[in-house]
Amino acid sequence: MSVAPAPPTPEATPALRRFADNLRHSPQRFRDAVVRSGAPRSDRSRSTFVFSSLFLHLHSVRVHRWSLRWSATMGLGVITAAAFFLTLVTGILLMFYYKPYPDVAYLSMKDIHFVVPTGRFIRNIHRWAANIMVVGVFLHMARVFFTGGYRPPREFNWIIGMGLLAVTLGLSFTGYLLPWDQLAYWAITIGANIAQSPRELTDALHLTQYFDPGGLTKLLLLGSETVGEEALIRFYLLHVMILPLVLTGLLGVHMWRVRKDGGIVRPADADQRLQPLEPSTYPVFTETPQKTYHLAAVVRGRTPAVGNGPENTVPAMPHLFYAEAGAFMLTILICVVLALLKDAPLKELANPAVPENPAKAPWYFLGLQELVSFSAFMGGIGIPTIVLLGLGLIPFLERETAGTGEWFGGPGGVRTVLRSTAFGLGTVLAVEAFVIRFGWIRQWWPHVPQLVITAINPGTVLTLLYALFSVALVKKYDSTRAGAVALFTCFLCGYVVLTIIGVHFRGPNWEFFWSPSQWPVH
Amino acid sequence: MNARANKHLLLWSSLATLVALGWAAYRENALQEWRVVQRDYKRHLPAANAAEFKVQLRQIVVPNLHAADRCVSCHVGMAPGETGVAGNALFAHHPNVFHDPGEFGCTVCHGGQGRATERAAAHGDVPNWPQPMIPRHYAAAGCGGCHTHLEVPRLAALEHGKNLVERNDCLACHKLDGRGGTTRPGGAGGMEGPDLSRVGAAGFDRDWYPHHLARRDTSRVRAWRTSFAEIAPEDRDAIEALLVSRVGAAGLVEAKAVFHSRGCRGCHKVGGVGGDDGPDLTRIGEMDPGQRNFTHVEGAHTVANWLAEHFRKPAVVVAGSAMPEFGLTEKDIDALVFYMLSLRRSNLPEAYWPKDRVRAERFGAREFSADGATLFGTFCAACHGSNGEGMRYPGMVAFPAIGNPDFLGIASDAFLKATITHGRRPRRMPAWGESEGGLRPAEIDFVVAYVRSLGGGASPLDDGKPARWVAGDARIGAALYAASCSACHGKNGEGGEGTALANPTLLRNATDTYLVETIRRGRRGSSMLGFGTGSVTRRALAQSEIEAIVAHIRSWEAHP
Amino acid sequence: MTANAPASSKRSRLDPEAMPRRDFLGIAAIWSATATLLFATLGIARLPRAAVLPSPSKKFRVTLPDALAPGVAFVPPGRSVAILRDAAGIFAISTICTHLGCIVKQAEDGFHCPCHGSRFGPDGQVVRGPAPKPLSWLAVTHTGGNTFVIDEGKVVAPGTKVAV
Repeated sequence: MSVAPAPPTPEATPALRRFADNLRHSPQRFRDAVVRSGAPRSDRSRSTFVFSSLFLHLHSVRVHRWSLRWSATMGLGVITAAAFFLTLVTGILLMFYYKPYPDVAYLSMKDIHFVVPTGRFIRNIHRWAANIMVVGVFLHMARVFFTGGYRPPREFNWIIGMGLLAVTLGLSFTGYLLPWDQLAYWAITIGANIAQSPRELTDALHLTQYFDPGGLTKLLLLGSETVGEEALIRFYLLHVMILPLVLTGLLGVHMWRVRKDGGIVRPADADQRLQPLEPSTYPVFTETPQKTYHLAAVVRGRTPAVGNGPENTVPAMPHLFYAEAGAFMLTILICVVLALLKDAPLKELANPAVPENPAKAPWYFLGLQELVSFSAFMGGIGIPTIVLLGLGLIPFLERETAGTGEWFGGPGGVRTVLRSTAFGLGTVLAVEAFVIRFGWIRQWWPHVPQLVITAINPGTVLTLLYALFSVALVKKYDSTRAGAVALFTCFLCGYVVLTIIGVHFRGPNWEFFWSPSQWPVH
Repeated sequence: MNARANKHLLLWSSLATLVALGWAAYRENALQEWRVVQRDYKRHLPAANAAEFKVQLRQIVVPNLHAADRCVSCHVGMAPGETGVAGNALFAHHPNVFHDPGEFGCTVCHGGQGRATERAAAHGDVPNWPQPMIPRHYAAAGCGGCHTHLEVPRLAALEHGKNLVERNDCLACHKLDGRGGTTRPGGAGGMEGPDLSRVGAAGFDRDWYPHHLARRDTSRVRAWRTSFAEIAPEDRDAIEALLVSRVGAAGLVEAKAVFHSRGCRGCHKVGGVGGDDGPDLTRIGEMDPGQRNFTHVEGAHTVANWLAEHFRKPAVVVAGSAMPEFGLTEKDIDALVFYMLSLRRSNLPEAYWPKDRVRAERFGAREFSADGATLFGTFCAACHGSNGEGMRYPGMVAFPAIGNPDFLGIASDAFLKATITHGRRPRRMPAWGESEGGLRPAEIDFVVAYVRSLGGGASPLDDGKPARWVAGDARIGAALYAASCSACHGKNGEGGEGTALANPTLLRNATDTYLVETIRRGRRGSSMLGFGTGSVTRRALAQSEIEAIVAHIRSWEAHP
Repeated sequence: MTANAPASSKRSRLDPEAMPRRDFLGIAAIWSATATLLFATLGIARLPRAAVLPSPSKKFRVTLPDALAPGVAFVPPGRSVAILRDAAGIFAISTICTHLGCIVKQAEDGFHCPCHGSRFGPDGQVVRGPAPKPLSWLAVTHTGGNTFVIDEGKVVAPGTKVAV
């Protein structure tokens, strides 16, 4: 009688055999160790694939079909994040050659431009991605606003988003100094003096010697009285270390909250309005669900499943990831093509004795610079603070539900937006035309106290007019949403118009010109 | 839901990005200008050298000069260790110069953007690069970045020295500025006399003349005995003045000599010496063409062309310029442009400063020779004329002809010296003895002596009278002045066509004899008539009447 | 769970997703994106390798003191070259130790390296210690008078001397 040999236990095989087997299986086991769920082919393995990955589990496992419509988000958030990723990668690369010390910094920029392999290309991408990031942040914010995405439960994420806006602008601004050329030097000199501009107020009130927040801010920013080596190293530290860390942290919270707040905002009746699934699409929850998502994750407020059922969700893997990867590659494409077509600017070496004329800040600050040309404090600090406060308060002051998830949802719909656009554009153009044609208080009465101009200047006048218009719409529609839409639209129009004027129509000595070709040669 | 659309988006953006990246890679690795140039260079090389030659970026790094000059990435023949392709404009070896490019880099002399690796950017003909390359025609202007050429005489003196060198046949044995040294008295195998082209920098034996004489008298070589003739002392001085200026930058020194003949320092400062009426020119050669107004400049937008056009018509190129149109010849304009381009200052560590710059900036050595003629040419000629004939420019009051024998016949040396020292403000004559960038007392004496020589040696009248002796009746004088003088000299002596007489420095320095004699004799060649003699239209003034006028003029001294 | 499924033709969400006409589009998209990112990474990897080095020219001119005694090294300031004179002429030996790059010092019997005790003879040959190679001899060109051009980048055979 022979007994069938027992399957060899691990101990039974010689150690050397085991070693050889292990060696042979190592690649397979390594793969299994990395991706525990196996190939994401079934619904379950896809879900596991998503939530067992640190990077993917910021997404929910399933995503609503409404959110995947291009018109829902236009991919703006992903594009902005992708641009940030690009600046991160290219920025780290630039750090191989950049030397943060005055004059030497400029020479290292020249080296990057002329001799570093791929240096010029990488720098161009960095510059373009930074610009796209700024544009993306603004557009993303507008999208969220106009689709009512700030409403509960997303109030906090709206505020995080504002933080991201501020940090993004801060990153761009600090990066502006690093090339140490004329453009950089004078833009930052202006920026630093805007930081000092609360003195305008404290001086007028004779408080500066007791309480000088402006001077302190400037000192903290520059580490000195003028832009110099201390300022450069501070800006460098902010640009490559502090702000990117803050931004990454906020971005993580921001994305995580998107998921925890129930995904992208969508209308309450989104399910009814979607086309039925094409038969070829992989079926979704054809069986009775064994569990619902509000059991799987404890989320306050509306969850993707509550009341709607999961019928209109699809697995994030792969549907969402195709969309995200598509937007990501599109961003790269845009940056790469722009980088091929146009080099990032680099002017003459910074010269503290000869100001650039006109000395212009980065383009996204030129709207502010236009306001600053009347009152440094109001334009540079006062009005931005009012705007940021206003934006931050929107989700708490406007708590209606009608129109959530709809583009331009709310009373009046698109008409409210168009009307606000007309008012916003008309007002800012009228005020600017008046100022350009007739000047402002200082030109008429040179001895008028600064406090009067600080209080009454084109910036504050515009703000006041916009606020009045908004109040009027609140009354007309008996809706806070209408007022919010009016205010947001007006400020957006004002910002855009002022920026365009600052970029294109302002020349040496900040005078008005129809075109830069008319600038007198200085 | 856009499942297919998203996949398409991903696919096509990825492929387009791949193409764009591929193009970027190709552009960087194959199309870069210096790569194309170096491949061409390789084709020009003999096969043996071509095999060794690697296409790669090249540069000359000189840490002390902050130079990392990549010019040699295209001008490969000038890279250290490269042989170059003779006769090829781009690939030739650098001409043999005193400063080895391998040791000093390129931009320290030639300007331009050393860090750039593209033609336009490297040559600096791009926006946002303030220092374009010095044009090849003016290449020696680059010397001015570090050197300050000292004791450069006026042009006529240089020309005189050169004529003497020719006349005395020095070039038979010596080489000078690339000429001569053809006869070899010592037999075959080389030039007997040393090359004199840099003798001003290297220094030379001040006893060269006795040495030459002794050599002539003792040498057995026939050529020595026959070819060296005696040279007069003043000719030797002229030759030495020329030799001092031979520092290996012949054209530039000649250009500077033009500057020292045209009286430019009368209005402009260079290195802190000169007048204040015009802009300081110390670093004018570094001007950024991007910051210049080319609206009224014909031709290329280059610094050289801007300067040339400005010399042709100053007030057109720079609106409101007080600089007169001198009517310079094109040759002079070219020389002045050359010199202007050389006015630059590289920020060298002092260890790198050449001796001449140390002497000029630390010990106050003069850039012009200290002889009266050169001083006059340097400071005075623009207004008073090269020979003291006095200049007349459109829109300006005529400048006095101080070479006028009638003037020199009555103006004493003391008067000349006082006028030069204290000037005649508020007129344009600066106080050269009092101003910061002015003349030193000894130099003023040289100028006075030179001015004296312009009048054909006329020595001033010396009647032994004190400075103030006139005791005329100022009231009579006032009437006479109103009738005869006020038309030109102004009602209250404020001047007009004629000199402003109510000028405190004039009245302080001029003696009564000077005033009386000027009125009596007049000044031929100018509008000032001799009132001591009559004409068909007016009678002669009596001596007492002249004295009365002087007394009236003197009355302004108390109440200007 | 499949037991609970209604008996219908519908597929289960636990089944692998059917790809009726294999998803060429999706696969192509993923692979092209991967290829693009890979290509970009390769491009990026080139950046840290500097195209030009910031080191000064290896060729330099030196004027030797008149009283340079035979066998006594003259080291030009800032350079790691010992220039020596003997009856046959002038020659230059690099003072960079061939072991790990420290600077050797001239001693009575040649050159000593302070870092790991390598010792070299007067001609640069290894006498002791870990140095694997003798010190390099460098190209010298005579340009007249006491002036010579040394090329630190050009190694010549030991014993190459320039007669003066």
